[in-house]
Formats: sequence, structure tokens, C-alpha cells
Amino acid sequence: MNLRRTVAMSRKEFTQVRRDPYSLVVVLFLPLVQILLLGYGARLDANHIPVYVLDQEGSQDSQALLKAFQASPYFDVIKAVDNYHALVRAIDADQCKLGIVIPWNFSERLDDAGRTSVQAIVDGTDDNSAQLAEGYAQAVVATYANNVQLDWFARHGLSQQVTIPLSVDYRTWFNEDLESKNFIIPGTVALVMALMGALLSSLTIAREWERGTMEQLIATPVTALEIMVGKLVPYLGIGLADAILCAVFAVGWFGVPFRGGLGAFFLATTLFLIVILGIGYMISVATKSQLGASQYALLVTLLPTSMLSGFAFPIDQMPAPIRAITYLVYSRYYVSALKRIFLSSAGISDLVPEVVAMIIYALVIGFFATRAFHKSLQ
Amino acid sequence: MNDAPSIVVDKLVKRFGAFTAVNQVSFQIRSGEIFGLLGPNGSGKSTTIRMLCGLLTPSSGSATVVGLDVARQAEEVRQHIGYMSQKFSLYNDLTAIENLQFFGGLYGVKGRALDERIAWAIKMSGLAGSEQLLTGELSGGWKQRLALGCAVLHRPQVLFLDEATAGVDPLSRRQFWELIHEMSREGVTILVTTHYMDEAEYCNRLALIDQGLIVEMGTPTKIKQTAIKGDLLLVECSPLGGGLAAVKQAPGVLEASVFGAALHVVVSTGRQPLTELPAFLAAHDVRVGRIELISPSLEDAFVSLTGSRALGSESYQ
Amino acid sequence: MFDRIWCMIVKEFLQLRRDKYARFRLLVPPIIQMLVYGYAATFDVNRVQIAVMDFDHSQESRDLLSRFTFTGRFEVAKVLSNEQELKSLIGRSDVPMALKIEPGFAELLRKGQTAHLQVIVDGTNSNTALIAVGYVNQIADQFSQDYATYRLEQMMPALAAVVPQISLEQRPWYNPDLNSQWFFVPGVIGSITLMMVVTLTAFAIVREREIGTLEQVMVTPIRPLEFILGKTIPFFVVGLADVILVAVVGTLWFQVPFRGNVLVLLLGVVLFLLSTLNVGLLISTLSSTQQQAFVLGFFFLNPAFTLSGFAFPITSMPKAMRMITYVDPLRYFLVILRGTFLKGVGLDILWPQMLALALLTSVLMLISVARFHKSID
Repeated sequence: MNLRRTVAMSRKEFTQVRRDPYSLVVVLFLPLVQILLLGYGARLDANHIPVYVLDQEGSQDSQALLKAFQASPYFDVIKAVDNYHALVRAIDADQCKLGIVIPWNFSERLDDAGRTSVQAIVDGTDDNSAQLAEGYAQAVVATYANNVQLDWFARHGLSQQVTIPLSVDYRTWFNEDLESKNFIIPGTVALVMALMGALLSSLTIAREWERGTMEQLIATPVTALEIMVGKLVPYLGIGLADAILCAVFAVGWFGVPFRGGLGAFFLATTLFLIVILGIGYMISVATKSQLGASQYALLVTLLPTSMLSGFAFPIDQMPAPIRAITYLVYSRYYVSALKRIFLSSAGISDLVPEVVAMIIYALVIGFFATRAFHKSLQ
Repeated sequence: MNDAPSIVVDKLVKRFGAFTAVNQVSFQIRSGEIFGLLGPNGSGKSTTIRMLCGLLTPSSGSATVVGLDVARQAEEVRQHIGYMSQKFSLYNDLTAIENLQFFGGLYGVKGRALDERIAWAIKMSGLAGSEQLLTGELSGGWKQRLALGCAVLHRPQVLFLDEATAGVDPLSRRQFWELIHEMSREGVTILVTTHYMDEAEYCNRLALIDQGLIVEMGTPTKIKQTAIKGDLLLVECSPLGGGLAAVKQAPGVLEASVFGAALHVVVSTGRQPLTELPAFLAAHDVRVGRIELISPSLEDAFVSLTGSRALGSESYQ
Repeated sequence: MFDRIWCMIVKEFLQLRRDKYARFRLLVPPIIQMLVYGYAATFDVNRVQIAVMDFDHSQESRDLLSRFTFTGRFEVAKVLSNEQELKSLIGRSDVPMALKIEPGFAELLRKGQTAHLQVIVDGTNSNTALIAVGYVNQIADQFSQDYATYRLEQMMPALAAVVPQISLEQRPWYNPDLNSQWFFVPGVIGSITLMMVVTLTAFAIVREREIGTLEQVMVTPIRPLEFILGKTIPFFVVGLADVILVAVVGTLWFQVPFRGNVLVLLLGVVLFLLSTLNVGLLISTLSSTQQQAFVLGFFFLNPAFTLSGFAFPITSMPKAMRMITYVDPLRYFLVILRGTFLKGVGLDILWPQMLALALLTSVLMLISVARFHKSID
């Protein structure tokens, strides 16, 4: 492989990218927009859950329970209604996601039989928010119930029973406040790299065919390998620069921690970019129109990376056949590496499985890409 | 041919922001006439035609086609005109018949009349037997005639051809012009824009347009005769470039430019250029080969009138 | 007028039929998306893999730990014997959660003191972690209650009966099993239709502009509005067909219920289709090449999809983003879809969404038709 010819190809490719408005948009504008969009928009936390309450008793006790709900940072007690029908209508109409019903004999039953219950109606449409809401509601009621119990024991002079039998101590590693942004945004970097890399590299060969410059290129002594390497190296550089941009944004703007090694970050990103650029290159070779190439590039990267890489949806919750498929999804390894690099202090030695998987992928893709290009010339 | 002019253009202007593409253009065309608008790319001929078709709104001035105002009665105008541009914009993924049926439908040609016109168009384009071929599979010449057929299914009184023969082989162009002439004989007014000089010769009258202005109007013969104010000579010399620079300084030389491998030089009448010029050039180290008087072509006329060059001739800048 | 529109519709369908890839593009991506979203997109929290370290080995500790697996939400992946194993397990994100019980657990309980359950959580998938924490709390609370009652019964049986206990009965409505598929599959109807109709319409019109047939058609007596109708009606039909396809496959394959009124859904579908057609039209007036249409389409569809409430709840977004969603037709259509499929509500509840869609469509239509007029000038 002749280095000089390869460098000449790289230089030409880089100049073309610099002058092409579309490419510039993809390189500069797209990553930022994507990070902002997903960074702010892709939140799975449930905060300010709208709640309606129906206090059928209106006693001091019931009011105290309602206050507990109001005090919770997760709930926004928006309205108190006075009949069940209004509550039903509110949930139907998306005005609240949770409806609390305190029965008319709440404190009465508490005094007599000691047991009473509170009803919660949860809008189960969005099962994620529903589960979170249920968990938070449970916690509020449990705390209130414990306080009521302690009070009762104190009033009956039973001080030795004032302890709660079981207390749970939580230690959260890596994402202490369990904020969804901290685990989604590292994955977003992967998505941006995938999109950007594929969109850019998928155009490279198709553009030459469409403009008619490919024939001239083939007439020169440059080899297929030199063309491929020469064309993709600038994109690798651009991709790395963009990755840095994204990481800086993630840390500086969104406050996502970055605890791992920079070396690991660069290695993982470089390997991932090689895979992505290879895929885009193959698309470009196979599709002689730029438009078709961009569309395929989008299809082949966006869907797998957003759905099957563990970016937002946990892989271990997927059904077994789908879990098996995700082993073939190249972005899965990069997303996993990124999360560990950002949130835990993973270095290269901790990421051996991911790195190995990506190296294998890169080699396989590289092999097929060169072969595909050879075949297309015939 | 009746007497009322088919197309009347009066001080038509089109501005795009600060740029004036068409500048106070005026002319009249009689019905059945083949009128050519000749000029280089960017001279405003396409813009003028598009205004007449109702595709662009004039900035000022007026134009009527078969008595209808193109600005205010644009839709009615379109019922009476046919238009064809150099892109032969037909649907490549439809067959010839489907294209004809489609455009016929848009023009409101139905039933029996449509069948007849389609049959005529197929025959005229030489596509009998190939009607079911996809238009994209046809070669340039056939597509061109098919596009013409699509444009006239409704028997329009006026036909606009905007560089309609660009990129087509000369034989097909010749056949195309035969069709044009036939239509002209039937009374169809035809406004053609072109930068091919040989096509300009086919027109009844020409208007030379450059940078949005009409620089000359008349029959091809008249233009050739009157445009050049002087004698036109063909001069072969070497070096060519040096010869051009030198000859421009020769006494009596009004204009000179390169035409192919030689120079065309305009000398004021009443001189002896056949003897004077070689001597003058020799004195400037330029060797002269062939030198003779020639009659002006339209290209010469155009160059003389505008100082610029239209493409499509064998000359280069 | 109708003749000319009909001419355009016939031509469009002829072209669609001839396009070999069209059939592929119209059928395969919807089905794939539906399968992927139906199966891969999940917020379920089941069989969460946990590691347990029980250093107490008492009846009480075993009781507590068994409650976790009993709910079906957790599965014991590994039993650990030392702290080092725990570090590497969580450190490698091999299990999302680990439970640790120190020696002396049961003793503390029997003495009436507070015993501790240590829960170590891997925060890298915080969503699952948060939900799992909720379940842990529930199990722990129940254990506490039960044990306290048990102690009381032993010491003062008379009192045990009247100790106040407040429980929370939760009933999830519309989706009682909290099945993620029921949430996503109706949504997929909307997202697929949005992407398909917008891109098809935009590309179709821009293609005519690119190859020049737009001009050739505009020079005929056809009016711009007739052209627009002629172009968009076929894609309305295609969009409608796709909606029906995805809806039918979705309900049959994933067993998603449909509890509402089909006519209400149909009204929503029609309004939504109209709005997406107009978005496609607007994009086409802003692009002169298909490549530009692709870029513009992407910049619209990407946020329209992400912020629509399809996967991420709108209420969790910051205010600025929430504002943006008010001009996203998919947002309203998703409410209509989930309302008719899962909630079974009717027009009396869904009229604000219908109105919003109608308004959005009208405004888009005015802008795009006006721009279309200008763009052919």
C-alpha cells in the first residue's frame, strides 16, 4: 500500500467534506442537536406525577396522609375531587396519572379494628411511569403508616416497641441519585457516533459514482485498499473530534460524571468508528445513489443502536431470542463500554470483553468492505 | 394566418432581487410564425418564455398570448399553449401511452378525441409498436418527439419550445424541426429559444437577446446583412493569440475574434484588407496563411452585436 | 377539476405499482418496527438478577430473602460468600442488585431492635434500579409489618389485633399486568405512519421538481391546489392502509386490546394523516433536491419522534421541550391511540386532541400551500 497515494486521497476527501454544507451539518450540527434532544428529552425519571385525591372522610388523619403525598417530591397533588366519577374522568382524560382514594371510614376503622386501607388508581398505560409511581406511593404510605404506628405505641406507653424491625440501607454504585440522564446520555454518544459515522461514510463512494469521478479514480494506479483507507481516515479523525465534543457536552452541560480512563474512551470510540465507517462504506459501495445510501445508512444504524444496544431499554429484560440477537448488534458493546467508562472508573483492562468483541467486528467488517469494493469495480 | 398578432410582449421586465433578468423586452409574433429567441445562457430567454407560459410573474410590463393576459389570466392561457423544455420532462417510469394519457387528461382531452391524438402522437414520434416501453428506456430522439406530442395533445394555438433540442443528435434534431414546420404550416405560432445558430436559421424571425435586452430583431437574412458594419474576413495565422492581439491594432479593423482555428476580422468598407492585413501582421511577426472575404453568419452577427459568444457553434472563446 | 385530480392520482398509483422497492418499503419496515418495538422495547422489571450474601443463616434471614424470589420480580443469580466477589460482580455490572445480611440479623430482630438489610444497587441502569428499589421497599415494608405483628402477638396478643396498619391497594388501570407491549404497540402505529407519510410525500413532490416534471405539469391548466391534492391523496390512501395493517397485526399478534370506538380512532387517524401529509408538503416546498428533503425530513422527524411521548413521558421533560411538543402531531395522536386502544375513552375525552390536530393541520396547510405557490413562481 502506497502511503503517498493514500494521503492524497485523504486530503481530497477532507477538503470535500469541509466544502460540502450537508457534511458540515452532519458533523457539527447533528451531534449537538442529538445530545440536547436526547439529553433533555429522553428522561425516564418520574417527577411531578400529577395526582388527584378523593378524601371521602376529611378527618385530621386523612388530611395528614394527603399532606404526606403533597410533601413528596415525586408527586404533584393537583386537585382534590369530591366524587369518584370525577376521579375516573380525570384519569381517563390524562389529567392525572395517580388517583388516591381515602375511604370514608378511614380513621374510624383505624381506631376500631386497627386495619384500614387506602386505594390508589394508577394509569397503567405507560407501564414504566406506573411502576415508578406505584413504588413512590408505596413508600409514602409506608412511612405514614410507620409514623402512625409509632404514635400509637407511644400513646399506649409501649416504648420498647418503637423500633421498626427492618430498615433497608441502600448503597448505589456509579449513579448515586439514580438519575436517568446519567445512564442515557453515555448511550447517546454512541447513537451520535453511529448516525454521524454512517451518514458521512455512506456518501463517500456513492458521491463519486454520481458525479462521475469514480471512473477517473479507477483509471489511476490507486488500489482499492488505498481508496478505502484514504477515504475513511479523515472520517475517523472527524469522528473522534466529535466524540470529544459530545463527551465535553455530556460532562460540562449535563453534569454526567466521567470517571473512567481517557485511553479506554479513545480506544473504544476508535474501534466503534472503524466498524461504523466500514458499514457505511459497504453501503456506499453497494448503492450508487447518494440518496439511497443515506437512507440505508440511517436504517442500519438508527434502529439497532436505539433499540437493541442497551441504550435506553435494558437488554436483560428483553425476551431470550431478542437478547441473543443483541450479541450481534455492534453498538451493544460500545454502549456498554461507554456507560462503564462514564459512570464507573473503568480502564482498558476492565473492558476486555467489549474491546475484543469490537476488534472482531472491525476485522470482519473491514474484510467484507474491501471485498465488496473489489467486486463493485468489475 | 390571421392578422391579429398571436403573442404581444410589451416592455416586459423580470427582476430577481437586484438582478434584472429581463429588461424591457418587447416584440409581437403573428400566428403561424416561427419566432426564435437567440442568446447565450443567462441572457433571459428562458425567463421570458416562462413568463409567457404563466410560470413566472412579470415584475412589470405586460404580455398577451392569443389575446389573454399572461399575468391575470394565466390559467386560461395555459389551455391554449403547449410547452416543452430541454429536460423533456416526462415520467420515466410510465410507458409512452401512460404519459400521453396523463397529459391528455390534464389538458381535458377526453374520449374519442384523446384516442385520436394519442394515435397521432405515437405515429409522429415513431413509437408505433413501442407504446408499452417505459419512457426511461427510450433514447433521446424518441423521448424528445414524445414530449412534443404530450405538449400538443390539446391542439394549442401557441407552442413554446425552450431549448427543446439541447443534447439531441443532429439527425433527431432535423426530424424534430420538420414537425415544427408542419405545425407552423397548420397555423400554430411557435416561439423557440435556442443557442444553436443553425436552428436560428430555420426561424421566420429572430430576436437576439443578451443580458435581458433585445439587441436586434428581424429575419435571419436581414440580421446577417445589417449586423456587420463592414467587410468580414477569415484570417488564418500563427501564432493565433498573438495574431488576434496584433490585428486589433491594424488600421481599419473594427472587430476581431477567434473562430475555431482562425480569426474573423471586421474591416471598414472601402479598404484593401486582403493586401493590407498580411503586411501589417508580418510586421508584427505574425505569419498569415489563408485570408478571404466571407459572408457573415448569425454567429458573427451575434458577436458583433453583443460582443459575447453563444454556445453551440464550432468556435471557442 | 376532478378530472385533473383523478389523472394525477392514477399516475401516482401507476408509478407506485411500478416501483419494485415501494412494496418492500411499505410493508417491511412497519412490520420490523412493530416486532422490534413490541419485543425489544420494554420497561418491564421481572426476574431481576440479584446476588445474595446471607451471613446470618437464620430462619428470619432466609424468610426475608425468600420473599424476594416469591414475588417473581427477582431471581437469585448467585450466592456470594465474600465482599470481594460482590465488588467485582457489581463492578462489572453483572448483576444490577445485591442483598447482604450481616451476622446477628435475627438476634437484633428478636431483641426488638432494628435489623438491617443492605442493598447494593448498580446505578448504570438507573431506570430498572429505581423500579426495583420500589419493589424492594415493598417487600421490606411487608416483612417489617409481618414481623412486628408477630412479635406483638407473642407479647401482647390482645393488642396485636388493634395495632394500626395502613396498607395501600394499588390497581393499575387499562394495563393491569403493566405489559410494556401494550404501551408501545399502539404507539408504533403512530410513529411508523408519521415517518412513512412525511418522507413519501416530501420525496414524491421534490422528485418531480428535480426531474422537471413539476414544471411540465404546472404549464398545463392544472391549478396548484389540484396538483397538491393529486399528489397527497394517494399517500393518504397508502398511509391509511398501513395504519390498518399495523393495527390489525398489532392487536392480533401482541394481543393488545382495543376498547374504544373504531370511529373515534378513524377520525383521529384521518386528522393525523392530514397533518403528516402537510408536513411532507411543507418540507417539499423547502427543498429543491431529494437530498435536502432527506436532511430536513430527518431534522423534523427525529425530535418529533423522540419528544412525542412515544417512549419517554412528556411530563419528565423540561419546560422548553414540553413547549415544543405542542406542535408535534404525533403527541396528540399517541393520546388518541392509547385512549382508544387501552383506555376505551371516546370523543368527550379526546376532543382536545382532535381539535389540536385539526388546528395544526389547518395552519400547516395554509403555510405549505402558500409556499408551494411561491416555489413554482
